[in-house]
Amino acid sequence: MSARQNFYRAHERAILGAVMVLLFLVAWEGLERGWWAALLRPWLGPAAERWQLKPIFISSPTLVAQAAFRMFFVTGEIWRDLGWSGLGYVVGLALAITVGIPLGLAAGWYRRLSYAVAPFLSALNATPQVAFLPLIVVWVGTGLGTRVLIIFLLAVLPIAINAHAAVRTTDPRLVRVAASFSAGDWRLFRTIVLPSSLPFLLAGLRLAIGRGMIGVVVGEIYGSASGIGAMISQAGSRFQTDKVFVGVLTIVAAGVILVEIVQHIERRVDVWRPPA
Amino acid sequence: MAISRDFKQEDPPRHARLARLWLDHERALIGGGTLAAFLLLWQAFGESGLIDPLFISSPTRVLRAGNGLIHDRDFWNDLHVSGSEFILGYGAAVAVAIPLGLAIGLSKRLQYTLGPFVDTLNAVPRVTLLPLIIIWFGIGIWSKVVVVFLGAVIPILINTQSGVKTSEARFIRVARSFSASRFKIFSSIVLPGTVPFIFTGLKYGAGRALLGVVVGELYASTAGLGHMIADAGNTFQTDVVFFGVLIFMATGLVVVALLDRFEREFEKWRPDVR
Repeated sequence: MSARQNFYRAHERAILGAVMVLLFLVAWEGLERGWWAALLRPWLGPAAERWQLKPIFISSPTLVAQAAFRMFFVTGEIWRDLGWSGLGYVVGLALAITVGIPLGLAAGWYRRLSYAVAPFLSALNATPQVAFLPLIVVWVGTGLGTRVLIIFLLAVLPIAINAHAAVRTTDPRLVRVAASFSAGDWRLFRTIVLPSSLPFLLAGLRLAIGRGMIGVVVGEIYGSASGIGAMISQAGSRFQTDKVFVGVLTIVAAGVILVEIVQHIERRVDVWRPPA
Repeated sequence: MAISRDFKQEDPPRHARLARLWLDHERALIGGGTLAAFLLLWQAFGESGLIDPLFISSPTRVLRAGNGLIHDRDFWNDLHVSGSEFILGYGAAVAVAIPLGLAIGLSKRLQYTLGPFVDTLNAVPRVTLLPLIIIWFGIGIWSKVVVVFLGAVIPILINTQSGVKTSEARFIRVARSFSASRFKIFSSIVLPGTVPFIFTGLKYGAGRALLGVVVGELYASTAGLGHMIADAGNTFQTDVVFFGVLIFMATGLVVVALLDRFEREFEKWRPDVR
């Protein structure tokens, strides 16, 4: 086997992935610049024009990159939207954590409380929570409150449900041992239930981060003047496709970074655990 | 359990029978009780005038609004539009995601080539693509079908794929050493092992599909339940909004219950582990 084949075998994943992404980007760029139309013209004649699309329709990788550079570094217009969206996101997510974790832990710890809240949680969980948006607008108007509430509503369920499941899956042997050494309820909770719940809580948080991002966008398409979601929807209605892509990519980047941070914490937290 | 068995031995006194009734149905009683209390409180606040019913409506008002809507032809049209969007988008997602997920799980090369795209799409909250999808497909039913499709296809795909990946390696090795064909291995080991994963993805995808219907219709539409809710919200018909939310809630619950039922049918062959 030649050295070149060996190299390919070792890096097949990266090579195939990169080639496909590159092909995709080139195909996209060509669709906007008319490369494919020019290429096909000898065979198709005038019908080849269908292979060139207007920039307002699909934009192109270079146009998106240009728009991103302009919005981030030249005009800096996106920073204000980012700040505005970030504020609602942080407040909504913080609210979801402060309500969801205690509620979920308590429901997991007290059986009767879990019976009481279960119907509400499962009903809310089956509902697309964004359907409450028109109600929230009636209640608190279209300001920061709406966005905070919709982000809260979307994010609180995965957090509470995971916290509940976390307590339920605590190793019963550990609890029984501690109880037979007459550990009090609080002590049991603090030294056994809480540490073993932590991975679940963080997993719930990871889910909630993604849900919250949906909340940012949905909360802002509904009568908000600023924020990333509002920017996306305004750009969309003005056919500024490149700006839409920049907004979408910004949200993706924010989500990926947040999830990375949580995963980092997850690994740190898991260090003390003995290998299974 | 031990307590209830003791009671059975001799004729139990009245309060003991009541206690047993409570213990046997505690979950349903507490759950039903809180639900009833919630509805009563809501009704009391809504009708007492303490809070303007314009804001919170009340259960009876919601029911009355529902009764009115049932006799309204526009409502049935909205239901039909939303239903079509959900069924077309979700159906297409299922039809694409399960075969593709199986293929990606089986073929390493396919996973390498499509992986980056699946991962990227998974990181994108698909509803952010709405403005683009509206530009591409207009504000009619098809833009919503596409959003529903995109929302549902990724969780189904990813779950199916990871289901294939977690097939029991020992089973496959055994089958191979008895010279089972690739198709035989796939149909009798990989596929059955993947079914629970597929159903998890289907349930997750159904939620995402409903989300797509609502957001798509809130954003830009001419008909549909989301459209109805948005309209009703703008005109402060809180009872109609609640009724719409109730329909979405019921749909979500019914779809998940149906999928659970299907799953049990598929899993009947499994030996009982308990």
